Amino acid sequence: MAAEKLELLILKTLALEPLHGYGIARRIEQVSEGVFKLTLGSLYPALQRLEKQALVAAEWKASENGRRARYYRLTAKGRGRLQVELEDWARVSAAMARVLKAT
Amino acid sequence: MLTTLWLRVKEIVLPERLDRETQEELAQHLELLAAEKARAGLDPEEAQRQARLELGNPQEARERLRDGRTGSELDAAAKDLGYALRQLRQRPAFTVACLLTVALGVGASTALFALVHGVVLKPLPLPDPGSLVRIYDSNPGKGTSRTGITTGNLADWRRRVRSFRGIAGTYTMGRTLTLGGDSEAVLSAQVTEDFFAVLGMPPALGRYFTPEETRRALFNNAAAPVSPDPVLVVSHALWQRRFGGDPGVIGRSVTVERRPMRIVGVAAKDFAVPAPDVDLFLPWGLPETPPRDQHYLTGLARLGPGASLAQAEAELRGVASALSAEHPRTNEGWSVELVPLHEDTVGDLRLTLLVLLLAVALVLVVSSANVALLSLARSLERLPEASLRQALGASRGRLMRQFLMEPLVVSLAGGALGVLLAALGLGLLKRAGPGVPRLHEVGLDGAALAFACAATLLAALVSGLPAALRLARTEPAPDLAAAQARLAGAGSRHALRDALVVVEVATAVVLLAGATLLLRSYQRLQAVDPGYQSQGVLVAPVFLDMEQYGAGGRSRAYYDSLLERLRSLPGVVAAGAATALPASPLGPDFERPVWPQASPGDERTRRSAWVRMVTVDYFRTLGMRLVAGRAFDASDAPEAPLRVILSEGLARVLFPSGSAVGERLVVDYSSAGTYPYEVVGIVGDVRFSGPRAEPRHEIYLAHAQRPYLVMNVAVRGSGDSRLLAPAVRQALHELDPAKPAYGLYDLAELSGATYARDRYLMLALSAFAVVAVLLALVGVHGVLSHRVRERTREIGVRIALGASGGTLLRWIATQGLRLVLLGLVLGLALAAGLARLVSGLLYGTSPLDPAALGAVAALPLVALAVSLHPAWRAARTNAADVLRAG
Repeated sequence: MAAEKLELLILKTLALEPLHGYGIARRIEQVSEGVFKLTLGSLYPALQRLEKQALVAAEWKASENGRRARYYRLTAKGRGRLQVELEDWARVSAAMARVLKAT
Repeated sequence: MLTTLWLRVKEIVLPERLDRETQEELAQHLELLAAEKARAGLDPEEAQRQARLELGNPQEARERLRDGRTGSELDAAAKDLGYALRQLRQRPAFTVACLLTVALGVGASTALFALVHGVVLKPLPLPDPGSLVRIYDSNPGKGTSRTGITTGNLADWRRRVRSFRGIAGTYTMGRTLTLGGDSEAVLSAQVTEDFFAVLGMPPALGRYFTPEETRRALFNNAAAPVSPDPVLVVSHALWQRRFGGDPGVIGRSVTVERRPMRIVGVAAKDFAVPAPDVDLFLPWGLPETPPRDQHYLTGLARLGPGASLAQAEAELRGVASALSAEHPRTNEGWSVELVPLHEDTVGDLRLTLLVLLLAVALVLVVSSANVALLSLARSLERLPEASLRQALGASRGRLMRQFLMEPLVVSLAGGALGVLLAALGLGLLKRAGPGVPRLHEVGLDGAALAFACAATLLAALVSGLPAALRLARTEPAPDLAAAQARLAGAGSRHALRDALVVVEVATAVVLLAGATLLLRSYQRLQAVDPGYQSQGVLVAPVFLDMEQYGAGGRSRAYYDSLLERLRSLPGVVAAGAATALPASPLGPDFERPVWPQASPGDERTRRSAWVRMVTVDYFRTLGMRLVAGRAFDASDAPEAPLRVILSEGLARVLFPSGSAVGERLVVDYSSAGTYPYEVVGIVGDVRFSGPRAEPRHEIYLAHAQRPYLVMNVAVRGSGDSRLLAPAVRQALHELDPAKPAYGLYDLAELSGATYARDRYLMLALSAFAVVAVLLALVGVHGVLSHRVRERTREIGVRIALGASGGTLLRWIATQGLRLVLLGLVLGLALAAGLARLVSGLLYGTSPLDPAALGAVAALPLVALAVSLHPAWRAARTNAADVLRAG
């Protein structure tokens, strides 16, 4: 999966609520009905890139099972970016669909 | 913004903590998935296995996260650095060889660059130095070029010429300065109006002279000031030395030649016109009708705005020819020459320094080539390692970076050491550079350091790139054995190494040829008979003053009793004095027309001769050869008929038909009239200004008959002349404490200084040549050794097939010799091309001197000897061992 697409999925997933890495992976897998299975080597570098752009912020918090876990949440900047990316995606996919249907 | 910044800081400062957190996060992720799978019914072990399978290798994720962090580049560089340092430590001999090679190359080139930059390239430290020119008088018809200008013409030029913003003249002479009862002979410059304005440097303290002060500052014919309230400007150096830099020095009175003078200013620091060691500046007003036939002034001028040198010269020449028409008796045939002040100051040193710089560049080439060879040889040993690492996934870029780190480290360390060497070398060069102008301006300044950095980086690149390229070209090898096998096959790809060796040898040959040429030239210079014996002679320049010694025979009486005292000193063989001594730094030195009295005295029979007043015993003191007649003695008294002694060359042209002794000679003193002299003797020619200049035509007059105030006193001792110095100083002090000598000089040193430049150039080039040859030989040896090592298998097979040790010896040695011969031919061709460059520095030696170039041909013999060592090692190879190992 292309890196930008993965980043868009992560941003969208975090738009609902802050999650830890495992939570993000599970949510994406469930919603995509098993189409997107994320490996450690793709998920965490993507999170690192997003954090470096200040689109997400991470902090260690107590998780549901009482142990500490790293939770990622969308920043204001990340929310803005998500909006832009979603619009972009809608435009591009609609255009793609038109082109693909035409042939 | 702040949060990302904080993140970056953490990434750089706390990479370990972030790494630990990452590990924890990844482990948790795995654990959570495994736990879920276990909840779904898998047994814990299987759950873990599947989770791992699904999520991929956590170690790889960890690596990728690590690479994504800020500073990971730095981290990799630090690792490469550590690796390079370990590699270098493991091979101390290789490391030290490379380090010293680079240090020598960078050090020598930086020191020499600083010298060339400070002396030749840097503009003079004066405002708008490009518009400053030196003016010379020339009379091509009389064969006189570039001599001093006259006060009479200077006054007219100032009135008539428009192309200059100012024209000034100065005259340098020794004077005695007395301060607090302590007398010191110093150099003083009399300067005409506008002198300081022309040069444009503001004074360090106080002021320069007003036009009024200059106008009334008149001198009598013995250069003693005759005006009331004389003023002067002191040099910055004198102000520091004698007044401790006291700002209250302005207005203070000092005694110059027994007359009080008031200090009005301190000249700018490092003010070096007309010479850096001038300590007093006196204003000089020109008289009503200044003479036009005494060419002793240093002429200086600043071009006006927009005026070119050619324009100014053309205009001044026009005025000079007009003056010739107006004053034919004095100005007939006289014209002018203009030389930019920078060129005039630096003079013919430019060529010498450029040759040295070229030599240093060549050394830099050889040293870089040598380091390149060494690291190339090293890299071949590491080919298997490189192949393996590539097979393990290292990218070529990464490998390149790693292998470049080593030469970079060595070059940087070598460069730093080189700067240190340059500082040391520069100190030596500055202390031992006689006759080099502007030395005080030379130093390791920004330009020199920038040069050192550039040279270091160049060395790093040249030395590292071939090896790095070679390594990065390797193919990934599945295992070490395969890599080694490939290495054995790589033996045929030698082009780069061979080329480097050939370049090294060629460069060494060029330097060797240059050094040999200069050595031959120097030997010929040394073989020139100067016409006097300088060993064991001490020279003391003495200036008497007009006030005390001007009248009657006081100067004669002073020198008579001084010489009497000196002759009675223990260890003194002879003592005499002359107005100007060969190679002496100071003294009145001038030419006069002379002709045989029996001839018409016209253009055909007149000759220009240098006039020297000498005392009794002068010729014997200097060890000059008496060719005919006699030397001066007590009979040549003031009241006796005027007598003259001629130099051999002059006697030959004036009296070609027979002996000159007994003939009469007319000396033209211009405005002071003509006088007939009786020739009483002929002495051998002397090389007055060094072996390169042809002997001059000279006439010697008896000091008793033509007393002079300024004399160079010479004392010949039976041993080292320096041992006489305290006694000579004492004798001078006893006779007149106010008249110390302007230093005491060893005549051999003075005379040696006339060709010291040749000696330094020869020694420097020889040193460079030796270094280059040694480096080249090391290169040849190294390359052959490696070739032998690489071909161990082949050699083993050859031995097994029956090749004798002798055959192998020949085989290897031939390979070395082939490279050396190629380098020799290339080097000789280059040397022949460059020989034209040095021809201007050679004396009596052809730039294609067969003996000099022949000596270079000895290089292959040495190279042959050097290549025998690896050949011998090859011959000793045990075939069975090699083949078994393969």
